[in-house]
Amino acid sequence: MNATTTPASGVRKAVVVGGNRIPFARAGGAYAHSSNQDMLTAALDGLVARFGLQDETIGEVAAGAVLKHSRDFNLTREAVLGSALSATTPAYDLQQACATGMEAVIGLSNKIKLGQLDSAIAGGVDSASDAPIAVSEGLRAILLDLNRAKTTVDKVRILARIRPKDLSPDAPSTGEPRTGLSMGEHQALTTAQWKISRLAQDELALASHKNLAAAYDRHFFDDLITPYRGLSRDSNLRADSTMEKLSTLKPVFGRNLGEAATMTAGNSTPLTDGASTVLLASEDWAAAHELPMLANVVDGEAGAVDFVHGKDGLLMAPAFAVPRLLARNGLTLADIDYFEIHEAFAGTVLSTLAAWEDEDFGKTRLGLDGAFGSVDRDKLNVNGSSLAAGHPFAATGGRLVATLAKMLHERGHVDGRPARGLISVCAAGGQGVVALLEAR
Amino acid sequence: MDQQLTEMPLLSKLYLNAAATAAKQRLLRTTPVAALPARAVEVRGVQADLAKLTAFQHLMGKPARDVLPSGYIHALAFPVAMSVMVQDDFPLPLLGMVHLDNAVEHLAPVRFTDVLSIRAWARELKGHRSGTQVQLVAEVRSDDGLSLLWRGVSTYLAKGIYLPGLDKPGKGPAPGDRAIFAPPQPTARWQLGVDTGRAYAAVSGDFNPIHLSVLSARALGLRRSIAHGMYAAARVLADIGSPKPDHFSWNISFESPIFLPAQVSLHIADTFADDGGWQGSEFTAWNAHSARVHFRGSVVAGAAVPRTTVGQPIPVTGAEPGAAPLR
Repeated sequence: MNATTTPASGVRKAVVVGGNRIPFARAGGAYAHSSNQDMLTAALDGLVARFGLQDETIGEVAAGAVLKHSRDFNLTREAVLGSALSATTPAYDLQQACATGMEAVIGLSNKIKLGQLDSAIAGGVDSASDAPIAVSEGLRAILLDLNRAKTTVDKVRILARIRPKDLSPDAPSTGEPRTGLSMGEHQALTTAQWKISRLAQDELALASHKNLAAAYDRHFFDDLITPYRGLSRDSNLRADSTMEKLSTLKPVFGRNLGEAATMTAGNSTPLTDGASTVLLASEDWAAAHELPMLANVVDGEAGAVDFVHGKDGLLMAPAFAVPRLLARNGLTLADIDYFEIHEAFAGTVLSTLAAWEDEDFGKTRLGLDGAFGSVDRDKLNVNGSSLAAGHPFAATGGRLVATLAKMLHERGHVDGRPARGLISVCAAGGQGVVALLEAR
Repeated sequence: MDQQLTEMPLLSKLYLNAAATAAKQRLLRTTPVAALPARAVEVRGVQADLAKLTAFQHLMGKPARDVLPSGYIHALAFPVAMSVMVQDDFPLPLLGMVHLDNAVEHLAPVRFTDVLSIRAWARELKGHRSGTQVQLVAEVRSDDGLSLLWRGVSTYLAKGIYLPGLDKPGKGPAPGDRAIFAPPQPTARWQLGVDTGRAYAAVSGDFNPIHLSVLSARALGLRRSIAHGMYAAARVLADIGSPKPDHFSWNISFESPIFLPAQVSLHIADTFADDGGWQGSEFTAWNAHSARVHFRGSVVAGAAVPRTTVGQPIPVTGAEPGAAPLR
């Protein structure tokens, strides 16, 4: 299949001009006191500086955060107002858990393709350090009733309802609302179901650190990252990690699985703070502004699975979404030159690959004649991914799109056609968003 | 011969009543007769209280719909069943009674606006290896009494009470299989705070002292307060999901109490028809630390299939003493 994927008539191309992020920091580290708005503004400032967007009116800026304070109801617009962009740049917030950044890129690209926008910035930010803490449900109900009370007597009566337990705060948790299990415990189920070994997970984690370190060493990220708060590299990166070190870590998820407990802090992503942005444009806009065009955003696809009672793994939606996306574009896994599969956990990536290689899964779940196919490991996460960089939930999509667009642009053509890249991101709630990019 | 109540009895009064009866029986040293009162108790014109219903639904952590959760209907019918158990000629003491299992057939959706008639009676007074057990049947019908909407059978055990004339079964299927329970990987986990009993009491009206506090539970011989069995049942039903088909059945057997606070692990397994439609779910819950089983059960679409895997089958339909003629 050598034909390039061309848009339907009447639809123009949306290109990735470039991206900018701040280095990702382990929670409680360099950005412990930085808010989402601080970090999103910092990432936006760097993007504006890199592409000379001062006082420029951008068609639309869309970004979001998973852990969000209620006061940040207009987070993205506020970040735009605080940036060097023109104040006439509209912005909106969106949220699709860990797929927030991907959905921002796909949605804005579609508007560019339809001619509704000429330029756009997609982004995402998350702080696990500066997380919102709410008052308890009991106190919240009392305070709201108090606000509605008319007389002093009513107010006193309502205040008298406060009990000591109402005063304990309500912090966000990583638990899935419908199961009470953490994402790690859910993945432990999937990892065991697909019989992913500890060794394979540690190898993937090691490769992530080695690849990310090598990419920094050859200055790959120089035009993708702006230092912030003293960090110039992702603080989770362990360039000197070894299989020996990884193998000494004790399992942290699925411990009651005994022998099958394989998920450690080394092959799972840590809680992370950070922000990312991506500049998208029509070809005309990029050309008029003499800006580079790294890649086309070809197509995107969302998916979801029924994970609640374990029919499918919580993070397995991309295993279904990717086959649909590729089929729609007349492609197979063999036609992809770079895979960016978000490493929520090493087990997530390996379970997805195992499902695609499984004949029964291909037949019964994907409705194919056999297994969906194999991913050439030399094409997978070649510049490292979330296990090494960390994963500030909503910021991961922007990191992946900017990184892959640059890789595709550097690669140029393969067999006479533009290099192709696939991004796959799983998300809470059993969801996933995947996208197809093509080199320019 | 039915006893008609003009309004829904207050559970708090019933508990006081039960305490008074217990004291009276202790004083008079009366030996109860091993027979159940033949009359049923009926209350008509029952309607759900919207505020209480909403609080109940939110406590289960699920969106508040206009249709009553099956567990809420049990709470609605419970005072009627209790009225049966506080009658002077009811042979077992209400206080300290243990809930063994429940089997419910939910025949049609009930909306909070529906006016209902609720009828309850006792049946199956039997010896148990550690006391005497009895079944309480509650039927919820439309107010005209024509259509049966919900029917629940609860089995209770009066521990240490042996009535003359009732066989005491020998050491039959003792709960020895608890030791060999190998917990599967949980599909859900509940973090139950020490106030779980008080919270459910507030939404269900069931202020049985064994659920409220360590002190009140100790007064009835327990080392700590325990979660309501019906809280567990209502919550697992909510976890399994709704809305289910209009007609479904569920059952639950309680194997060990949930002492509060607790971390409870659950495994819920669904079965689907060939067309992908939900057919049923089986659930098991155990203590996350000790792996002791707390309860098991299942939910199925349509009428119930008698369970034989755990304990004895629980008949859901069939003739019983004092059964209401279909009206």
